Amino acid sequence: MANIKTGITLFSLGTPYLKGELDLEGVIRTAAEMGAEGYEIVASQMIPSYPYVSDEFIAFINKCRDKYGIGPTCYAANMDRGMLRDRDLTEDEMVARAITDIISANRLGCTVMREQYLLSPNGLKRIAPYAEAYNVKVGIEIHNPDSPITQPILDYVKVIEETGSKYIGFVPDFGCFATAPNKPYWDRALAAGAPLEALEQMAQLRYDEVPQEEAMKTMMPTLQKYPVLFSTLSSMYGFVQFRKSCKAELEGLKRIIPYCFEMHGKFHYVDENLHEPAIPYEEIIPVVASTDYDGYIVSEFEDEGGYPAVEQVTRHVAMVKKLLAECK
Amino acid sequence: MAFAMRMNFVDVVVSDSLKHYYVDGKRMGYQFDIRLSYYRGHFLSVIDEFGVKVDGFEVPVERIKFCINGKEFSPVEFDKCYTEFWQVIEPATIRVFYPGGLPEGEHQIDVTLMFHSPYMPIGPDHQYMPVDSCGSKTLAITD
Repeated sequence: MANIKTGITLFSLGTPYLKGELDLEGVIRTAAEMGAEGYEIVASQMIPSYPYVSDEFIAFINKCRDKYGIGPTCYAANMDRGMLRDRDLTEDEMVARAITDIISANRLGCTVMREQYLLSPNGLKRIAPYAEAYNVKVGIEIHNPDSPITQPILDYVKVIEETGSKYIGFVPDFGCFATAPNKPYWDRALAAGAPLEALEQMAQLRYDEVPQEEAMKTMMPTLQKYPVLFSTLSSMYGFVQFRKSCKAELEGLKRIIPYCFEMHGKFHYVDENLHEPAIPYEEIIPVVASTDYDGYIVSEFEDEGGYPAVEQVTRHVAMVKKLLAECK
Repeated sequence: MAFAMRMNFVDVVVSDSLKHYYVDGKRMGYQFDIRLSYYRGHFLSVIDEFGVKVDGFEVPVERIKFCINGKEFSPVEFDKCYTEFWQVIEPATIRVFYPGGLPEGEHQIDVTLMFHSPYMPIGPDHQYMPVDSCGSKTLAITD
């Protein structure tokens, strides 16, 4: 039986944090008020001594735990393969960075770490002994356009199964189950004067799995008339792809559940009736609840539409809790 | 100009930050603060282009010091600064060597700052998403 806890990635409160409306303590307090049982922290966004964790920062995090009752559960790392000006990091250098992140995650008391796909399957395999020694389970984020059944992810599955390590796996992001166009991108195009019919035509091309170049060709006269649609169309073939059904992807998720350490409850908008228009939570949550998944679903609000972050995350946590309750 | 991502939460050039700095009691130049226009911090080695114009004139690069983490870097050193992390909520102070200082009153500051997002490849051979963190503002010099 699944044992699912609801958390928040502090990234969801990035907008008020970056604008200076909330400091880190305010962000943690707000996450607690919204019902998070734990939180994920994006290290490169909110850890002042990044990529290291100072004693002062640990003291601060412990003080916040005492005051607000929640602490960090997942350290979200970045794999900055392109951080040098003239060449990519080598696998050795990426492994070294990932080990630094594991050490930092452990110092913060996190038992899960989100890693990014630029660390190759072999790189992931190489860090397994460190993950185990430091008791930090490292999960590669499965982000749209990848999904649990795309080849790059299956390549990781192979390595995970070969090593048999319980400390390397995945952090699936629910954005990879999208079945409808992303609402903020859609609304932005409409607001910029693009006609609804053009958007619907583009969405249909995507649903019909027409290749990007062909879709571009078909839409070219419209794109030239409404240049704003260029970015809408490329997003539909980029990081916010969608398809008619996510059944096969959800089957793939079931298959990798033993390797899932955290899940990103990605969303761009939740309406007042607790519904996400692009990502079918009503289908996803029952599937996760039917497995033996033991871990957090963290609400991850991507602020693309300028909706108020606190209201949006509050709705999202409520939506996940409601759907989980319906599964019992 | 080619496509570049823009992620704006705050102004790049920080309001009310223009002032002179002094060395041995002498006015040695001026400084102002800038913020990175992104959602997370970065190592300075991701910066591909950096320049400052004041009142329409390009400041020679060797007169510029980019100050973070209690240290001062020259733009020509950025590519070697791959362990120097610029926190996203911490302003960097830009110091310009200009003995005697700027005349009183308002000055137009234009900063060019292009970087690449090092975890977002957009093609083979070290191609990453370009990000525009340029900014402009008119600031009054306050000593």
